[in-house]
Amino acid sequence: MTERLVGLPATSLPLTAAMVILVGALLLALIRIVRGPTIPDRVIALDLMASLVVGLLLLLGAVLDLLAIVDIAIVLALIAFLSTVAFASLIERRTRE
Amino acid sequence: MIVFVTGLLALSGALLMLIAAVGLLRMPDFYTRMQAAAKAGTLGILLIVAATGITLGSVSALLHAFLASLFFVLTTPVAAHLLGRAAYLSGVRPWVLQDELAGRYHTQTHELGSGRAPTASLPGIDQAEQASS
Amino acid sequence: MSSFLLNVLLALIWTMAVGRFTLQQLVLGFLLGFLVVAIVEPLQGTSRYTRRVTRGLRFAAFFLKELVLSNLRIAYDVITPRLHARPQIVAVPLDAQTESEITLLANFLTLTPGTLSLDLSSDKRVLYVHAMYAENPEQAINQIKQGMEMRLLEVLR
Repeated sequence: MTERLVGLPATSLPLTAAMVILVGALLLALIRIVRGPTIPDRVIALDLMASLVVGLLLLLGAVLDLLAIVDIAIVLALIAFLSTVAFASLIERRTRE
Repeated sequence: MIVFVTGLLALSGALLMLIAAVGLLRMPDFYTRMQAAAKAGTLGILLIVAATGITLGSVSALLHAFLASLFFVLTTPVAAHLLGRAAYLSGVRPWVLQDELAGRYHTQTHELGSGRAPTASLPGIDQAEQASS
Repeated sequence: MSSFLLNVLLALIWTMAVGRFTLQQLVLGFLLGFLVVAIVEPLQGTSRYTRRVTRGLRFAAFFLKELVLSNLRIAYDVITPRLHARPQIVAVPLDAQTESEITLLANFLTLTPGTLSLDLSSDKRVLYVHAMYAENPEQAINQIKQGMEMRLLEVLR
């Protein structure tokens, strides 16, 4: 496992570069979460962050040649979707009362 | 050849997701931000899924990739709809030229009129906005 | 639907005849089977399946084109300093009637050109859409109805 990480083949260079870009995007989304200004803004930023992590996991799976990581990514995407739906219904319920 | 294709897919996907994040920062209001995140984000993740599926190459990996992309295409619009509706009801004002949704929601039941067959005149959303902000 | 089953059966028979059950062979068998069905079906009097598949493919091509275009447009808008968006929320009267038609329409709209479906009126007659790149509400509604809705209903009905 570790030797796989250390001795990355040169062919995976574009994938690694893509991962670096995704990390940059994560930081930008984080700024939106801090700034707000409203709760829905933060929720949509959180949703995008989850997608970005899913993308990172998928690329990691591709680089390490591990299909199991793809499963983890799909489960994370499912959880992110459910949490966004939960946040939406929470926001809506709060305005009704 | 395959390495070239997957690299291109992964890089363009990552760039699209970066654009989604930049759009999230730069767009003027919540709804336009959601447009940027929902569209660029979805296509970006789809490209990355394709890149991963092709790199791994096995039938099982391609099946995983297909199911994952189906999942993203189906869930993103649903999440955007629910969140957009919740935001509008909670009084997040859209930065728009024209808002044909204004005053169409019933403030208590959250029922949405179509404006076709007019229901009884309803108190507009503006009261809910003042209450929540 | 029986034409579809025939197509699947032909694909399976193809993989048996070739002797290798791989994804490539299955896809190839399916394509060849579709050709056979496309020839046989008119002889039975109806060519619904063939027509549906070709329309579905045309819709898929249209959808992919719109998906890429809308993304390029948003990307351009995000990267360049000036904002070209003219956002507006418009009420689109629907021709789509069943729940699945409306759901598919709303989903595809969210994924394509500068439109995001916000909500459906309780009586299911009007879809409220946040549109970003139309000159005025009439144009936005026309684009949606004659672009996405017409093509989608063509496939589904």
